[in-house]
Formats: sequence, structure tokens, C-alpha cells
Amino acid sequence: MTKILVTGMGIISAIGVGKTPTVQSLLNGKSGIGRIKHLKTKHLELPVGEVSCDDEELKIIAGYKSSLPITRTSLLGRVAIKEALEDADIDNRRPRKMAFISGTTVGGMEKSEQYYHDFLNNDLHNDYISLHDCGACTDVIAKQYEGKFDMVTTISTACSSAANAIILGANLIKAGYVDAAIVGGTECLSKFHLNGFNTLMILDTDKCKPFDKNRKGLNLGEGAAYLVIESEESMLQRKIKPLCELSGYGNACDAFHQTASSSDGEGAYRAIMQALEMSGLSAKDIDYINAHGTGTGNNDESEGAAIMRAFGNNIPPVSSTKSFTGHTTSAAGGVESVISVLAILNDFIPANLNFSEKIETLSFSPVKECVHEAKLSHVMTNSFGFGGNDSSCVFSKL
Amino acid sequence: MEELILELKKEIIEVLNLDGMTPEEIDENAALFGDGLGLDSIDALELIVLMEKNYGIKLANAAEGRDIFRSVATMAKYVSEHRTK
Amino acid sequence: MNIYIQAASQISTQEPLNEKWFDTPSYPDKILNESIDPDFKAYIPVMIARRMGNLLKRGIVTSVDALNKCSLNGDNLQAVITGTGLGCIENTEHFLNAVLDNEESCLQPTFFIQSTHNTISSQIALFIKCHGYNTTYSHRGTSFDSCLLDAFVQMKLGLISNALVGGHDEMTPSYFTLLQKVGYWKNTPLTDENFHAADTRGSISGNASLSMVMANMKVPYSLCQMRTVEMLYAPTMQEIKAKIDCMLEANGMKLADVDAVVMGLSGDKDNDNVYKNIMSEVTRDIPVMCYKHIFGESFCASAYGVYTAATAIAKKRVPSHLLYSSRKEILNPRNILVFNHFHNIDHSLILLSCPD
Repeated sequence: MTKILVTGMGIISAIGVGKTPTVQSLLNGKSGIGRIKHLKTKHLELPVGEVSCDDEELKIIAGYKSSLPITRTSLLGRVAIKEALEDADIDNRRPRKMAFISGTTVGGMEKSEQYYHDFLNNDLHNDYISLHDCGACTDVIAKQYEGKFDMVTTISTACSSAANAIILGANLIKAGYVDAAIVGGTECLSKFHLNGFNTLMILDTDKCKPFDKNRKGLNLGEGAAYLVIESEESMLQRKIKPLCELSGYGNACDAFHQTASSSDGEGAYRAIMQALEMSGLSAKDIDYINAHGTGTGNNDESEGAAIMRAFGNNIPPVSSTKSFTGHTTSAAGGVESVISVLAILNDFIPANLNFSEKIETLSFSPVKECVHEAKLSHVMTNSFGFGGNDSSCVFSKL
Repeated sequence: MEELILELKKEIIEVLNLDGMTPEEIDENAALFGDGLGLDSIDALELIVLMEKNYGIKLANAAEGRDIFRSVATMAKYVSEHRTK
Repeated sequence: MNIYIQAASQISTQEPLNEKWFDTPSYPDKILNESIDPDFKAYIPVMIARRMGNLLKRGIVTSVDALNKCSLNGDNLQAVITGTGLGCIENTEHFLNAVLDNEESCLQPTFFIQSTHNTISSQIALFIKCHGYNTTYSHRGTSFDSCLLDAFVQMKLGLISNALVGGHDEMTPSYFTLLQKVGYWKNTPLTDENFHAADTRGSISGNASLSMVMANMKVPYSLCQMRTVEMLYAPTMQEIKAKIDCMLEANGMKLADVDAVVMGLSGDKDNDNVYKNIMSEVTRDIPVMCYKHIFGESFCASAYGVYTAATAIAKKRVPSHLLYSSRKEILNPRNILVFNHFHNIDHSLILLSCPD
């Protein structure tokens, strides 16, 4: 079967613009979660992982010079894709055929909620109407690179969107449809989903405490991250140095409840087992799990149960980097895949911040402090979405 | 109390979209969740909103609602003691 | 390995859950056209349906109907792949209005829960208890096409042997108004006679809810074989032509072997000009079939293009009302090419053939 290699990455989140500051924040235990600065909401009591730049600053970083309107979700995406394409030297050494697959759920909602009354009552902000849907968000990112992509699509499976984009991209490469794919996701904070999560009473008014007995919920975050993945053949032809291998992935549905995860983590367990099986690895081979670990009562218990079922007595170090970035929802699978690869490349295991007490029903505690000089051969990252859309990916050192 | 119980039943039918159900069909002492009416965690969240919106009662989390939402009767008792509107 | 469409089921502006539209269609007479819904209570228990919006109910009913036609259920179905351009927009608007009107307080969670795009796919899985692969595409006019590609690719790779794919979109009066402002809709309804004659922007709106079962084994009731699914991004005319040639060659076919091309002609001049250029430059004398004049336009309308082609192959004829260029009925179509584009950016090409 075709080997899928990661040859470039780009990331933006509350802990930094780009890979280097991201690694620095993770190594130094510096969380990006704090008070709301840009989002227009009255819920200022809720901590979030907001990207520190405003839209104008993002335009400069992304090199967006057009006067056409653009949503924050697309801007974040443009910042991340720019770094990823440069990292893989796509401009100078083009893969023969390339796909762009992006995950988002918020899409243009952050602008729609600001201008909704204008949409209905006047013509001041009509331009944003066409930018509302998820696909528009992706097309606006892709437009900059017209001529580079052979196909473009958008996945929206809530908090596992970006992970599922990675899976589609890998399958398209294996089936020979494309030689390379830019995969991941982008999501900005919106009043819409902040309030949505708030009605579910799963937002912590303090900093989130994933896998802690006294966890109270999650903190929302925003960001974008893309990986360039390609076939070994394309990588060799382009003479580009690979960063690591995407050795396995799995997608399954919990089919348990609209919002809650099953107590035995059935969907998560299936996704994890599929990912392990495809990678040809067994539980003991995984050196680190970057967990979905949102910090809600339900997720951490359910995911913990799935990890215990899948790994038994060989549970590797586990941490949730959502304690740094907040829950970047549709982008999370991308953000956390990039973090997982950065951990492999820089020999460290990121900490699970704010943890103090183990969950009684779980046999493991997360990694409390950053582990330096950790040699990681295989890292698993989990992404689970509302409705039980569970996915898991394994990245391996070359 | 009778009046409040009837009012609550009507409100529950409305917010939880219990299509075709009448207040008479809800036994005020029967369990709302589990074996009784068969409501779930999302309904509990909807009831929390109902309490705030209609009676000015703010519950901090879903766990707090567990005892209050045992039955329509327990809800009515709590409402009559804590309502601010 | 060959891949087939085994069954399909639809709810739209046409009579639901059957193929009466094929011979006796009703022509949408408004700009915003409603779906004709079946009695949902016959399919979904009241306690389960009580929180569902109509789009979700349609998704579940068409899915269950299509699965029943091929004796599939949650245990033996391996993938649920759903396309939706806007998701459950009715609930999205409901929650958005509440956020704005109530100034972010006293909001009902149900509308938020039901607003996410993946609600349909995950609730279908929940309803039939299917733990298989589950995903949702939301990419404007090629949302459904992306589902087909995903299922097709996974079958070719041997990862799955069957899949439920669907395209589901609804249009609310307020979202209709917004899209009208940016040129999506006509100002006056179109009739069957003048549908393709207008020289103005905009189309007529329909709803889409179409579920299809794909599998890698031929059965006596297979509607058609799916030979190729391709998606293209901002292609030139030359690239489209090259792609069609390449698709046909890979299947040992020539352009002359294609009996009809299904196109998403919608009455919008910008949209239709792209198709007309393909007709004059590439497909030339091959008869063109259309479907949006009876199903209307929506982000998932392309699902009806594939469905129309599959139904014509299965019924071994193309009635004249589905033909654009000539009005002479086609008998025994064996190969039909489905061509779809959205704003001339995202394109798809799907080649369907007689299953034998």
C-alpha cells in the first residue's frame, strides 16, 4: 500500500502563529487561554483560546491584499496554509496533482452573526452572505492558489472535521487520484457556537482541566492547521525531505446519542483500533496519545474508557493540548496532528495543564509536566465530534 | 399549587415538543426521566432554560437539576419556593 | 472491482419516495418551492422525532427507505456519507435569531444541537445504530459529489464494500431572501416552456433529500454501474475535455458511446453558459438531459442529476421531458455522463453505465 508522508505543516492558534512559537509555548508550558479580546459577546466571563491578532493583522500575515471581504475563518486558514505550502516547498517543486481538503463548521458565521440584521434589512454587508457557508470558506482560501489544486472540498463533522479531511486526503492519494493533499481545518470563535456550547453547560468558567476528577468543561479556542501529505513517489520525485509518516487512521461512529458519548467509548474505541490496525502497530508501540481531552465530564470519561479498552496494560503517556489552545473545534484535528508531529520532531511530550486529581474510573493520569528528550516513534491523536463522529490518526517517525 | 402544576405540564409539553400529549397524560408524581416520561439529558438542559426564562430561577449545572426535575410535583415545589418572577 | 448504485430514495418537490416524476412530473410553479413530505410518523417514532427538523426527518426517511430496498441495516452497512451545503439551516436560523434577540441568554440547546452540519449523518447512524465510517461534506454545489467520491475511493481501496450516500438541503424563506440578494434566484417563477429560454441570472429554489446505496457487488436490482467519479477545481475547457477523454479511455469507451450527458441547467444564464460551452466544444451531438426544471436548484441538487441518470439507465429509457437539446425520447441508454459545476469553480464528472 502507498506510504503517506507528511512533508509540510502550518499552524496558527492561541499559542502562536507558526510552528516555532507553537513548539516554544508547548515546551514552556505557556497556555494561550485567557480573557476574550476580539469576539463580540457579552459572555466575557468565559475564558477562550483566542488568536491574539485581529483580522487586519491576520491579513498582513496571510499576505491578503485584496479589497474583497473575507471571513476570520478563511483568514486563519490562509495563514496556516501559507506556512504549510512554504514548508513543503510547493511553489518551487509542484506535485503533479494536488487536492485541498479543509474542515470547518463555523464557516462565515462569525460575520453572519454580526451582520444578520443588515442582511435582512439593508444592503450594507451583502458580500458576506455568499461567504456564510462552509464551502465558501474553503473556496476563499483555495482561490489564492488557483491553478495549484486539482480538486477542493470541505468536510464538516464538527470537532473531528480536520481529522476527517486528513483521512480523505490519504485515501485519495492511495487510490491514485492525487499525489499530494493539503489537509486540515480552520475555525474562528463565534458568538453562535460559544453560546451553543454554553447552553449545553459544558464551558468551564475557569481554565479547563482535561482528565481531572474535578473538570468542569471545556474552553473554546480558534485556529487553523494544515498538513501537506503526499505519496512516497511524489516525495521522491520532488526531492523533498519528509517530516514523518501518516501510518494509520480510523473513523467510526459512536451511534449512541446526539451530543453525549457512550460510557464505554465504543465509537472512539473502534476508531483507535482501526488506526492501530492500519498502521500495523500494536498498543505497546504507541509512545504518546494526544487525546481529544476536551475537559467535559462526559468526553474525558468516555475517551478514557476507550483508551483503557484499546491499550489495556500498555497505556502510553496521554495529554490533552486543549489545555494550551482551547478546543479549536473543526480545526482541532489539524492543530493536534501538527502538535503531534512537532512532538515527534522535537522529542517532547506536551503537558496536560491544570491537572491535579485522577478520574476514579480511569486507570491512568495524564502527563502533568512537559517530558523533554522523549524519543517518540509513534504518536496517536484523537478527534471526536458531536453525534459520535470519532476519528483517530497515527503519525510515525521515519 | 394545582394551577402551577398544570402550567408546568403545559410548558413542558411545549418546550420539549411532546407532540400530541395532553397535560392530563402526565402524572405529576411519575418520573420525568428514565422509565417515566423517558426524557434525557438534552431535555434536562431545556428544563433549566425553562426555569430561568419563566420563573427567574438560575441553576448552575445539570447535576443541580437532578432532584428538582424528578417529577412535575418536585419541580412545582421548587418553583413555588424559589421563583423570582 | 465494479461499483454499483443499488437503490435510491427521494423527497423533493416531486411526489415523495417513488419515481412518478420520471413519467409524470409536476413542474415547480414558484421561485421558492417546498418539498412534498410523507407522513413522517409512519417512519420515525414520535418520541425520537420530536426534536428533529424536517430536513433531518427527510434524511432519515429516505435513508431507511433506500436501505430497506437492499436489505441493509445498521449492522451490515459500512458507511454513512452525507452531503449538505447549508446543514440544518432552519435550526441554525432559529438559534441565531435567539442569540441576537435574547442577547445571549435563555437559549434553548436543542436548536444549537440540531444546527450542526453533521447532525444528519450522525442521526441517520444513530437511528439505524450503524458504527461504520461516518462523515459529512459541506462544499456548496459539490457537497453530494464529494460523498460519491469518498465512497467510490474507499470501495476501490477495499476499505468498505457498501455505503449510504445522501444529499440533503432545505431552503427557508429568510435564507431564500438572503440568497436572492446575491443573485441566486429569479424574480418570477419559470415555467417548463421558458425554463431554458431566460437570459437572466438566478434559478428557482427546491429542496433536496436524496439517499443512495452504493455497493461493490452487482445484484438483480442494481440501478447502474458507477464507472468513474472525478472532481475538478477551476478547470479550463481543455482540462475538462482532457478529463472526459481520459475517463472514457480508462473504461474502454469513446465519446460516441455516451448516450446522454446530464447537466445541471438551472435557468441561470451564468450557470447555463458553462454547460452550453461544454455542449458546443466537447459533447457536441450527444443528447443533453436536465433535471433542475423539475427538482429546482439547491446546494445538493446535483444528487438529482446522478439519480436522474441512474433511473434512466435502470428504466432503459429517457422520457422527452428530461431532454434539453432534442425532444426525441432516447431508448435503452447504456452510458450516461453526469456533469455538474458550481459557479464554474468546483466541477464533477460521473460516468454511469448499464450494470450488465
